[in-house]
Amino acid sequence: MAAYIENNSSDVAEEKKQFIAVKLSSEIYGIDIGYVDTIVRMQKITRVPKAQSYFKGVINLRGEIVPVMSIRLKMGFEDDVFTNTSRIIILKIEDQGKLGVIVDEVKEVVNLGENEIDKPSHDAKENKHSFINGIGKNGDELISLFDINAMTEEN
Amino acid sequence: MDVSQYLEIFIDETSEHIQSLSDNIMALESEPDNKDVVNEIFRAAHSLKGMAGTMGFKRMQHMTHDMENVFQEVRNDTIKVDSDMIDLLFQCLDAIEGYLAIIKETSDEGTNDNEAIIQKLNGFLKSAEDGAAAKNAPAGETAPAENASEVGKKKFLSLDLEEKDKKKLRDAFDAGQKVYGMTVYICKDCLLKAARAFLVFKAVEEFAEIAVYVPSSQDIEDEKFENDFSIFFTTEASLDKVVGAAKSVSEIEDVVADEISEEMLEETVAEAAPAAVQTEEKAPVAAAVPAAAPAKSAASSSSAAPKKQAGKPVTSRTVRVDIEKLDALMNQVSELIIAKNSLVSLSSNNGAGMQNQSYQEQIEYLERITTGLHESVMKVRMVPIESVVNKFPRMIRDLSRNLNKKMELYMTGEETELDRTVVDQIGDPLQHLLRNSADHGLESAEVRKERGKPETGTITLNAFQEGNNVIIEVGDDGNGIDTEAVKAKAIERGLVTPEQAENLSQKEIIDFLFMPSFSMAKKITDISGRGVGLDVVKSNIEALGGDVEVKSVYGEGSTFTVRLPLTLAIIQALMVIIGDEKYAISLGSIVSIEDIPLSDIKYVEAKEVINMRGTVIPIIRLNQLLDIAPPEEELESLTIVIISKGEKQVGLVVDDLMGQQEIVIKSLGSFIDNSTKIISGATILGDGEVALILDVNTLM
Repeated sequence: MAAYIENNSSDVAEEKKQFIAVKLSSEIYGIDIGYVDTIVRMQKITRVPKAQSYFKGVINLRGEIVPVMSIRLKMGFEDDVFTNTSRIIILKIEDQGKLGVIVDEVKEVVNLGENEIDKPSHDAKENKHSFINGIGKNGDELISLFDINAMTEEN
Repeated sequence: MDVSQYLEIFIDETSEHIQSLSDNIMALESEPDNKDVVNEIFRAAHSLKGMAGTMGFKRMQHMTHDMENVFQEVRNDTIKVDSDMIDLLFQCLDAIEGYLAIIKETSDEGTNDNEAIIQKLNGFLKSAEDGAAAKNAPAGETAPAENASEVGKKKFLSLDLEEKDKKKLRDAFDAGQKVYGMTVYICKDCLLKAARAFLVFKAVEEFAEIAVYVPSSQDIEDEKFENDFSIFFTTEASLDKVVGAAKSVSEIEDVVADEISEEMLEETVAEAAPAAVQTEEKAPVAAAVPAAAPAKSAASSSSAAPKKQAGKPVTSRTVRVDIEKLDALMNQVSELIIAKNSLVSLSSNNGAGMQNQSYQEQIEYLERITTGLHESVMKVRMVPIESVVNKFPRMIRDLSRNLNKKMELYMTGEETELDRTVVDQIGDPLQHLLRNSADHGLESAEVRKERGKPETGTITLNAFQEGNNVIIEVGDDGNGIDTEAVKAKAIERGLVTPEQAENLSQKEIIDFLFMPSFSMAKKITDISGRGVGLDVVKSNIEALGGDVEVKSVYGEGSTFTVRLPLTLAIIQALMVIIGDEKYAISLGSIVSIEDIPLSDIKYVEAKEVINMRGTVIPIIRLNQLLDIAPPEEELESLTIVIISKGEKQVGLVVDDLMGQQEIVIKSLGSFIDNSTKIISGATILGDGEVALILDVNTLM
């Protein structure tokens, strides 16, 4: 039995993907670690006038100007409340450079195998689902996996 | 010999020669008898041939060789220059440019033989054959007449040969062969010295066997020699033939040679031995004392001789540097300035410890240095727009023929300098504008006559600097923009309703022309009318941080004004505060800063204006524009920054001034929607905070 489990998990390990589990409101979301450049604490964000409403502005990331987006506003939730646990996750998007997204809290790094990820249940009425391309099962916990490409596209 | 390392130099030099050819062929068209021009063309074709040969580009070499031959005959007055020939020469140039384009991409010249052109060239040559017997001697630069310096130039007579080399020569004497010495002088500004030397050897080896190289052939290949080198060779052929062969290599200034005897061989050694101490050269090129002086004077007299220099472009002392290295340097200077700015802000914000006077002095010193460093780097990156605009006369000439309209291009300010990156990208937009002027702008000869204009249309290109911008104006004295026709077209395409169209200003109507696929051409020609034009011009120029404007009077002509920033990376800016946000305004656009009492603000058409020394200037409240809450209590006076663009002035209301600062422009990236273009970028302040840069040009 033990041998069976070990065997099975090592098979899956090759296909396992790593996600950063973050909290937004009361839900847990996962961000594919392949997109993540770095995670920084909340800092002063300089507002950019006339930008899309879900862009909070730009920050100075070690001499680089990086735009920061509110996932909450993008998904139609209420505005962010910055706390001690708030973080900016800096994503690196191919050809488009870096983009920061604000999360309420960074929980942990989770490994999910193919068989632990379900297709999302599409509900046309709720817009936010279009940013999710999978539901991960981490033990009892359900993690909504962000579709980074959809998230960085214009609304 | 591996020539790939020379490829970049080859491409640069070839482009220069093509440009020189193009300019001179244009000049030749207007004055076909000007011998200086003919000589210059001959020289350029000759250099091209030599370079193409060195690099192994046989087709290009063939073509330039034939061009050279034709010009040889023109020099000899056996062929007259006519317009057919000019056309053919331009075709040749296009073909050579074609080769160059392929070489740039693939490092190979491709397979197009351009047979037709070569045949036509040879046709000219055949017609010339009756004229005069072709001269045998390759078109060499005439050897200097002075006999005295000739002796001094024969450096091979005073060389200190190594024993093994002497042995080689002795062996040759013993075998009863004739031994010759030769010294070859390469042009001082030659970039491919080793390659030239290599070519000389190849040429000489066709007739002779080279026994000794001074310096050694390895040193020559590594370019470890000054402007001359010597060889000793044995040959059965006549000396003239060998010298001629050596001289036929381009960029060779002079070749001197003479037969040497066995006694002379021993003599040179004896004579040179004491002199060797005086030479600084590591290479065994030891000039004997008596010979050195005349050699020097020969060199200076030949460089002073006007004959040699006539018409030859003066090459300045330059170093070719990869633009990427300059970019890297610029980035580092930017970082340095940011670091300096944070030191400055530390010293002004922090406690008493930092207020030490000598510390302040050092900070100021550092500031001066970084500013100077930035200016120097910027200057290094600046190139005259000449390299872009000097292809335009040729283009206008071709357009004139294709469109069957007479036109003349007048250019001023070709020496105006811009950042290299901008110059590289400004060519296409300017070309579009000129084509536009030639095709749409200028009327046909009949219409021009009716309107009482001279038959030949005038197109102008004026460049000049204005503050932190460079302005390039492209104008014509043609038809001007028919705003009614544009309006009708806009209505036809459903862009505006007829009612809306009535209220449009002239500027708003002209702006339609800059919309994608809005072409006014009635028929599509090669030149324009495909609807890709002005919108591309506009977006290209905006991508460079510039903008484009049109002024037009129907029936009298139009002028397109292109405004470009002088530099892309670092600017002097005025920092202003609005609400609790900080913004930077480029110092180049600022005219003055005024403190205006509220009571002085007047209204014109419900818009706020101020009257500044007789000029009425509209004012913009930046807090409203930028969606910032206005100050809680209305102040008694407003701080207004007056900015200008061309003749237009606008006042910007700000809450407070922070002072002047050198800022490094950084892009906002592609995620943030910046379609209003009010913000041209961001910068990092000394305390690490980000401030946005206002593009005030969009506010006018």
